[in-house]
Amino acid sequence: MAVQLDDAVEKAAPRIGKGGAPPAGRGTGSRRSRVARGTPYLLLLPALLATAVFLGWPMVRNILLSFQTLNMKELIQHLTVWTGTGNFQEILGSGEFWRVTVRTIVFTGVNVVLIMVLGVLIGLLLARLGKKMRLTLSVALVLAWAMPVIAATTVFQWLFDSRYGVANWVLDQLGWHSMAHYDWVGTQLSTFFVITLLIVWQSLPFVALNLYAATTTIPKELYEAARMDGAGTWKVFTSVTFPFLKPFFLATTFLEVIWVFKAFPQIFAINKGGPDRLTETLPIYAFTEGVGNLHFGMGAAISLLTILVLLGMTAYYLRLTLKQEEDEL
Amino acid sequence: MKRGLIAATAVAGMLVSVAACGSSGNSTDGADGFKGQKLTVWVMDGSNPAQWTEQVSKEFKKKTGATVDFQVQQWEGIQQKLTTALSEDTPPDVVEIGNTQTAAYAKAGALLDLGDLKKEIGSDWSDTFNKAAMADGKQYALPWYAGNRVVMYNKKIWADAGIKGTPKTRSALFKDLDTIKQKTQAEPLYLPGQNWYFFDGLTIGTGADLVKKDGGKWVSNLGDPKVAKAMDIYKTYQSFSTAPKNKDEATPQQAEVFAKGKTGAIIAMGYEAATAVKANPKIKDDIGFFTIPGETEAKPEGVFLGGSNFAVAGGSQKQDLAKAFLKVALSKKADAQMVKEVGWTPKSPDLADAAKGNPAAEAAAPAAAKSGGTTPLIPQWAAVENVPNPIKNYMTAVLSGKTPADAAKAVDAEINKRLAQQ
Amino acid sequence: MKRSLAGRIWPNATAIVLAIGFVFPVYWMFNTAFKPTGDIISDVPVWFPVNGTFEHFVTAVNAPNFWTLAGNSVLVTVLAVGLSLLIALCGSFAISRMRFKGRKGILLTFMVAQMAPWEVMVISIYMIVRDADLLNSLVPLTFFYMLMVLPFTLLTLRGYVAAVPKELEESAMVDGCSRRQAFVKVVFPLLAPGLMATSLFGFITAWNEFPLVLVLNKEPAKGTLPLWLSQFQSQFGDDWGATMAAASIFAIPILILFLFLQRKAVGGLTAGAVKG
Repeated sequence: MAVQLDDAVEKAAPRIGKGGAPPAGRGTGSRRSRVARGTPYLLLLPALLATAVFLGWPMVRNILLSFQTLNMKELIQHLTVWTGTGNFQEILGSGEFWRVTVRTIVFTGVNVVLIMVLGVLIGLLLARLGKKMRLTLSVALVLAWAMPVIAATTVFQWLFDSRYGVANWVLDQLGWHSMAHYDWVGTQLSTFFVITLLIVWQSLPFVALNLYAATTTIPKELYEAARMDGAGTWKVFTSVTFPFLKPFFLATTFLEVIWVFKAFPQIFAINKGGPDRLTETLPIYAFTEGVGNLHFGMGAAISLLTILVLLGMTAYYLRLTLKQEEDEL
Repeated sequence: MKRGLIAATAVAGMLVSVAACGSSGNSTDGADGFKGQKLTVWVMDGSNPAQWTEQVSKEFKKKTGATVDFQVQQWEGIQQKLTTALSEDTPPDVVEIGNTQTAAYAKAGALLDLGDLKKEIGSDWSDTFNKAAMADGKQYALPWYAGNRVVMYNKKIWADAGIKGTPKTRSALFKDLDTIKQKTQAEPLYLPGQNWYFFDGLTIGTGADLVKKDGGKWVSNLGDPKVAKAMDIYKTYQSFSTAPKNKDEATPQQAEVFAKGKTGAIIAMGYEAATAVKANPKIKDDIGFFTIPGETEAKPEGVFLGGSNFAVAGGSQKQDLAKAFLKVALSKKADAQMVKEVGWTPKSPDLADAAKGNPAAEAAAPAAAKSGGTTPLIPQWAAVENVPNPIKNYMTAVLSGKTPADAAKAVDAEINKRLAQQ
Repeated sequence: MKRSLAGRIWPNATAIVLAIGFVFPVYWMFNTAFKPTGDIISDVPVWFPVNGTFEHFVTAVNAPNFWTLAGNSVLVTVLAVGLSLLIALCGSFAISRMRFKGRKGILLTFMVAQMAPWEVMVISIYMIVRDADLLNSLVPLTFFYMLMVLPFTLLTLRGYVAAVPKELEESAMVDGCSRRQAFVKVVFPLLAPGLMATSLFGFITAWNEFPLVLVLNKEPAKGTLPLWLSQFQSQFGDDWGATMAAASIFAIPILILFLFLQRKAVGGLTAGAVKG
């Protein structure tokens, strides 16, 4: 699947329309131009309408809930109890929220870096392989990628089971006997290790396969020219591949930040955010406080703060994209 | 809008509308009035044994002319499902609610008062059973079934170790486990670190309270020396096992571990024997049971009476029919079937006969009668057991070397937070 | 340029190790599903299902309502993905090809919409659907799933649309086609691989959704497969054999779909994106 590849492609072959040919849609008569002016809105109407109804409305509802006390009793009896900014005060006043926020940012950072670096390496490896080997690795990647999240998390729990898990058995056989009954979800760090392994395993195929697909769009002449200048592998990457695919890297990193940040079933299934709630990220924290403890108003408030944190993390890319949009068309 | 109206009239409105529904069809037999109706009953996965279900369905049809639709619910996300369902216009009419959860739902105004029905059909139910179906002195549910843990042991391994008979005191049990450790290759006991209901039983045994009142509010009492004493007993038990300290008895299923024939004993519910036999049919003849022994021979170890109640949804449109169903489902005959078919603990003295011939039920009965108990029966308690259960974290921490006092301190805040909710 | 022997071996060796690493969890799922319970919980892992059995699959498929739920899952997923592709295609065409007021704001809306915390919004969605009297229906489910994948679909398709040479479209218009005709006849065929590729994300998202269907559709026959999958992990312990068998059945349609679409998609992308 291509990740918002438009920018990459544009750079490769600037549209003729920009320079010479007149932009499409410039009509001849005034009637036609009015229709043309309305066209984009008409085309976007279904998407906007659907978003407003099925995302906007629940979101508004969610914002309202964040100013309410909504527990089991209020939900069952259909009571509306306003608490003003009570929920927010409680959350922001607790050290817990800030600890979880920092943890989430670090967790997202580590995972995204791992995914991007390893993904690019595997993508470049794919480009170097012979046809048969490439197909083999591609199929393996696709299998991992297509594995439904629920199934994958279950399998990983099973692989890292302390008593009957394959991971411990292998480590034991390799001579690391203290790992025989190692309890992977016993400490914060080892639990995060398993979660990270799972998320990276699931995410790499997307990056690797797309990167490979994207490299095939780079004109061969560029590589030949670089090689002619005596550039090594690293030099070729930094002088040709990276600049050419920079928009691809930005777009993919943006998506991975969102996906890793929002990772829910992976973390929840491995150890429910434990031990001692030490592996809770913001979405898990919001869910445990809100849905898990039937404290829905509080959960709504945390989820709003969560969006703000995510917006902060992606602000750079959002601004960059909007700025580019100005130059386009 | 309908919703707005209900919200505006608030609790009072709810109660009035409940009462109005209740008076709709007042005839007590109502055989004709119910004809062709369908009653929806939510039961948890694994709760309703086949013969009991068949028997109750037939009897209900005969008595009322209506049919009952048993909808089996999965455990995953049950709390969200039950809470939302009870807020709907057409909730399930009868629901099974775990006895540790009942008070919370009652307090939320979700359940119908069944005081009259209790007087009519349950005058001889044991108090330990019935307490967990009450809240604020009112009968918001009726006890369906409950059971308690026993020691399920591998007779062959115990014979191999040269042990005769079964231990009658805790110290004798530890001595036997030690003998198995010395004389056989088997793991004497499989006990993961988070068998929380076994631990709850131990706290009942030491007379500990898990919560206490502090200035009108319930707070954690985990730092109490009696809790520490119970944890100390647990730790001794656990020292005979290599089971993971941070898992509960369900992952992996302890009965399946037991089924491999390399485990001396597990602390289990009677029905877990069936799981073991399913995993390894050859184990069947080696399975034996005995009461978890206490400090003295006279009083068995404290046990948690785990079980479920039936409640009628406050918003049910068929409350009379629901009550008629409960009369059938909780009749002596149906209860005897539950005891016989699954090995649950008898809830009234005259059901004792039904337990005869079921070794697990026979082993469970003495402890249930003399030292059975529950979790704290306050509405706030249910929240404490929500995933991730802080008490399980406490157990793991102590087993990994923390002092009970330190471990308690680490989770007190979380427990207090949960107790303060609602 | 001829590479050294080592230079030829290490990429292949790495590729093999990686391929095994990526496939192993998938393999282990199938392997566990075929093993009798005694072999699943064993002190030494049983690497191949030598005593292969179908009993876990029988357990999984014989669970109540399996076929109904499977039908629901397919219906909801296909409709949600189809609808979102249709709506997103229109929108992405406008965004990537036309100049109009509010374009940036709309783009930003969709980028931010990707961040929606659906798991926690479940309760507000539930209250809306409940008050609209639409519980236990596949309709709201379809629309909410559609929206879970719509922003991504739209933004990704925008890339594919932009990659189709504008000159093609323009020359068609010079030849007398209307803009719509130009789109249908020229642009759409070139977009087909992009549509397929984009749909993969939608399929996997809608197919996996659990928290929403759990509270919206509580009637046993109105659920989807993730609910069925969860029943093998119960309070009383996990039936790993049945869980893995169920997980296998659950994964197979998506695995096949991916293997099928991925080849087309990557191939199509390469063909469609290189131009000029």
